[in-house]
Amino acid sequence: MSDTTPLARGPVAVATPVVRDGWELDARVATGPLTLSDESPLAKVHVRAPFDGASRAALGVGLGRTARGDLGTGDVLVVGSGPGEWLVLGAPGTASALRASIEQRLARTGEFTTVLDLTHGRALLRLTGPTAARVLAGVCAIDFSDAVTPDGAALRTSLAAVVTDVVRDDRSGVPSYLLHVERSSGQYLADALLDAGRGSGLEMTGFRGLG
Amino acid sequence: MSLLPTTRRGADAPVSMRLGPQPGEVIDRRRTIPFTWNGEDHRAFPGDTIASALAAAGVRVFSRSYKYHRPRGLLTADYLDPGAFFQVGDEPNVRGAHRLVEPGMEVSSQNTWPSLKYDVKAVNQLAGRFLATGFYYKTFIKPEPLWPLYEKVLRRFVHAGAITPDPGEAFYDHRHAHPDVLVAGGGPAGMAAALAAARAGASVMLVEENHQLGGHLRWGDAADLAALGELRAQVAAETGIEVLTDSVVTGRYDDNWVGIAQRNLPGVAERLIKARAGTLVVAPGLIERPYVFAGNDLPGVMLSTAVRRLVNLYAVRPGQRAVVMSANPEGDLAVADLERAGVEVAAVLDARERRGVVRAHGRGGLRAVETNEGRRIEADLLVTATGWTAPTSLLNQSGDRPVYEPTAARFRPDPARMPDNVLAAGEIVGDATVEAIVEHADAVGREAARRAGRGGPAVTIPSLAPRPHPELFTAGTGGFVDLCEDVSAKDITTAVAEGYDSVELVKRYTTVTMGPTQGKLETVNAVALVAAATGKSIAETGTTTWRPVYAPVTLGALAGRPHEPVRHSPMQPWHDRHGATPLVAGQWIRPEHYGDPAAEVRAVRTGVGIIDVTPIGKLDLRGPDVPKLLNLLYVNKWSKLGLGRVRYGVMCAEDGVVMDDGVTGRLGEDHYLMSTTSSGAATVWEWVENWLQTAHPDWQVHVTPVTTAYASINIAGPRSRELLGRLTDVDLSADAFGYMNVRQGSVAGVDDCVLWRIGFTGELSYEIHVPASYGLHVWEQLMARGADLGVTPFGVEAQRILRLEKGHFIVAQDTDGLTQGYTAGIDGLIKLDKDDFVGLPELRWQRERDEHAHLVGVRPLDGSIVPPEASQILDSSGGIAGRITSSRMSPTLGRSIGLAQIDRELAAVGTRVTVRLPDGRDITVEITDAVHVDPEGERQRV
Amino acid sequence: MMLLPCPWCGPRNATEFRYVGEAGPRPDPASTTPEEWRRYLFMHANPCGPVKETWYHRAGCRRYLAVERDTATNEVRSAVDSATGVAR
Repeated sequence: MSDTTPLARGPVAVATPVVRDGWELDARVATGPLTLSDESPLAKVHVRAPFDGASRAALGVGLGRTARGDLGTGDVLVVGSGPGEWLVLGAPGTASALRASIEQRLARTGEFTTVLDLTHGRALLRLTGPTAARVLAGVCAIDFSDAVTPDGAALRTSLAAVVTDVVRDDRSGVPSYLLHVERSSGQYLADALLDAGRGSGLEMTGFRGLG
Repeated sequence: MSLLPTTRRGADAPVSMRLGPQPGEVIDRRRTIPFTWNGEDHRAFPGDTIASALAAAGVRVFSRSYKYHRPRGLLTADYLDPGAFFQVGDEPNVRGAHRLVEPGMEVSSQNTWPSLKYDVKAVNQLAGRFLATGFYYKTFIKPEPLWPLYEKVLRRFVHAGAITPDPGEAFYDHRHAHPDVLVAGGGPAGMAAALAAARAGASVMLVEENHQLGGHLRWGDAADLAALGELRAQVAAETGIEVLTDSVVTGRYDDNWVGIAQRNLPGVAERLIKARAGTLVVAPGLIERPYVFAGNDLPGVMLSTAVRRLVNLYAVRPGQRAVVMSANPEGDLAVADLERAGVEVAAVLDARERRGVVRAHGRGGLRAVETNEGRRIEADLLVTATGWTAPTSLLNQSGDRPVYEPTAARFRPDPARMPDNVLAAGEIVGDATVEAIVEHADAVGREAARRAGRGGPAVTIPSLAPRPHPELFTAGTGGFVDLCEDVSAKDITTAVAEGYDSVELVKRYTTVTMGPTQGKLETVNAVALVAAATGKSIAETGTTTWRPVYAPVTLGALAGRPHEPVRHSPMQPWHDRHGATPLVAGQWIRPEHYGDPAAEVRAVRTGVGIIDVTPIGKLDLRGPDVPKLLNLLYVNKWSKLGLGRVRYGVMCAEDGVVMDDGVTGRLGEDHYLMSTTSSGAATVWEWVENWLQTAHPDWQVHVTPVTTAYASINIAGPRSRELLGRLTDVDLSADAFGYMNVRQGSVAGVDDCVLWRIGFTGELSYEIHVPASYGLHVWEQLMARGADLGVTPFGVEAQRILRLEKGHFIVAQDTDGLTQGYTAGIDGLIKLDKDDFVGLPELRWQRERDEHAHLVGVRPLDGSIVPPEASQILDSSGGIAGRITSSRMSPTLGRSIGLAQIDRELAAVGTRVTVRLPDGRDITVEITDAVHVDPEGERQRV
Repeated sequence: MMLLPCPWCGPRNATEFRYVGEAGPRPDPASTTPEEWRRYLFMHANPCGPVKETWYHRAGCRRYLAVERDTATNEVRSAVDSATGVAR
């Protein structure tokens, strides 16, 4: 019955498939400094709550910023993705526990809140490299200079005509952007970024994870 | 002996016009690169423009003019030169005095037939009255049937280069930029402003149209070149400045949104930069203005700046024997350049002392110059330095209204009308020494940085005024005003005499300033001629509007990379592998069918089929006030929807027009899942948010779009229960899971699936929604586990047939932008007794009027004919009484069926009406119930 | 391209927004007349000058905004969240 074990697939076509933890991942490893990876297997939990109430305090971050922390399931990245909206990213496989944990914490506030597991509903790409902002400048009107969009900034805007949550989440001092869109737009956005980055040497690389 | 160098190669040896090395030359003499000119082999130095290489080889006639096919040579020797438009390979209208020669370039002249030298169309200039002022307007009015013929003739005469129908894979790019300070113009003022702004902490973008920074310093004397070297070194050392050469600011729009065309990138045909600038500094310098006199378009008549560019930048001797008409110091410097280049200067006519040229003589090239003192001087080169035009386009686009300064004979910016985020620097403001220009621009640059938010006190900008200059526009002997469009001085005065007495009207009537130079050379002369002809001043006459774009931009650059989002379901790889014909439905790529839609229909009616319906819109609704929301947006009632129940609903807009439909199920106490049409998913989401945010912000409802969070599969057919039952832990028995119910459970080992029992196809069917990452897994399991049942994948076409057999309408197919609720036949759904719902008043009035069309079933009497959709239904008097909205051949009934919107008088079942097919044939159809198959709905309720 | 100062996201290109229209009260459906209702649906003042209108930030915060804009200059005098009144 091994062929009936559910296999999860990300939104972006995989060149060299390997299966890990029930996910089909790409085994490619880029050699250059500018990379794009499909991080869709990360747990993605969506939170709605009053934008300025006790829930915000419980989540530890407000609109337009990110915070790393632990909500009881290990390391997570909490993103203030919209007015009264949060996106919480965690390790693959932790979504149910993360959703339950957040729901429990927010229940104590007495506020009207909604916590949804959207792990399978959204695509999550990561664009990393010293010239990542230059790639984004080909598809987006936002100013990605350090002064305007520093590490830890989060915003929603249009990338190549697709509404995208853009989260600046640098890796070891190297500029890095998490790009969060409707799952069905994931392949298109990856293609558009690879096109915009073709003069900069942008390469696909395998799943990297949150750490 | 002729003074004219030959334009031929071969029999006569070419006269090389190349000079020895010049201090400021931009050519690299260490090697040469080959190119061809009208099929002949030529060589250029790296750094040569096409025109400079040809001029160095002794070529003097470069093109034939647009309308009269007069021979034309160099006038400005820069980007604007109206005599140097070339065809390069398959690219027409190349600016030959700007484009650098590349190895192997195939250059040819334009507007010439059969050749540059023997142009038969030049008869136009002999029959000048043939193209009199307003010729096109006057001649080609009537008879209208002859228009195609006129067009053919005219096209041959105004042939401006050839485009290729296959543009190939050229890469056109876009880029966004956010400089604190954007400097338009890289001359001394632009460089100084950029340096000052960058040193004040601003990020700076410095944009220069030419291939190098420097402006007029490039063709200056030793002191100018030293100043240039110093400024360039400082700019290069300043990391805060991004320099773009061979790039031009194309326009300034709201909130300092500035377009830049960037041309010189490897692997990129052209890039459009969309810059949002903190402060825009306009520093374009000045453009030298031609002088209007008889013969002013002869090859050999040039501006002083053209001479200086040719000699100093390209080491090209512009002629052998010259007459110079000079009204300013720059003209005097051209005289010095000519003498240094070994050109015999036969006469200098000092226009400050009222000496000047009145006529140029020659055929095919200049031979003699006639002065206003009656002298006739043999020459092959006539140089004019009669004044300057301030290119104020970007300032006008910023809201400024430059004012005419008669004592300086040019327009200058009006600082009072400039917006705060735009400044002007350098010669566009006034004249001074290089040092003073740099000092002025330095202050402007610091102020620009401050206004862009870089702090510091307000900067006092030194005053800068234009120096006096005589007003010199025309000798009054005729000649051309617009060399691009072949508009003569006489055309302008004739236009005024014919009553076109405003400059905007003269422009449109004569096409003056409407050619490729877009007025940069000719506007002020045209204004002066109109002013003279109308007896008004230049200030009173004013200029035509300076609109974007400032310089030509390719359509490719405007388009940029194709950013047209497409969306895929998780099962798309399977569809691709199994021969699905793709259907583009909005952004979605969907399987239309897998080869035989009729067979797919039969499989669903007799066995089981599965269809990918992922694009169906899905909204997760949570909160205690969801029922209020549903009651407001749907025309029907929602208060009593039980847990695990599903209900169909229709939404109308405030005008009562059907907007969307779908089912909504109750998954939990305060948890609902709403489905919408595939095309309406985004609209309905915004619609729901609109009502929540603007009308009922107090309601507690959270809406989350989950359309693509689920892969959606409809399993339909009499054996669907059997198939799904093999894969799910949900009890599918009719008692446990009845029609119009919803359950949650696992399918093929995947948890958190939502299962609706609904029936768009009219068969027993289950619509399952699977967490999207597992969509392909579940689909493959359904195919594998249903193999013995003959499970058949079906596409959108089969689904459309199945639903038509069942008479289900599709919003925007069977309804349109005027179809109100009662027309769509949802009378039983509309609950006018509700206190409120969107569109309620209009629907109340629609019912009260009781005169609306009806949506009905139709069957042609001849069941082999499928009347195309949108075929019109005729009433007894031949008027239009409705139309066919959907039609198909029904595999189940073996005959054609349809839906139609029809006037109420003809809507009764059994009525026979005439339908006119697109080919003109009339057929008879009978009105039926909308439901063609299983009217009682037994099949879906089993 | 004009910038619209979103109270949540800051100044953004106008193309990120959907223009909803001039803002006006919805008549009471129970008592409205056809004349009044159709004025609400179709008739707009479209002044050359200040106007109150609704914009939706579809590519940003996805909030409906009450905006006061001068149509002659495109100057935005105020932009607040329709539901919460939050201003920048």
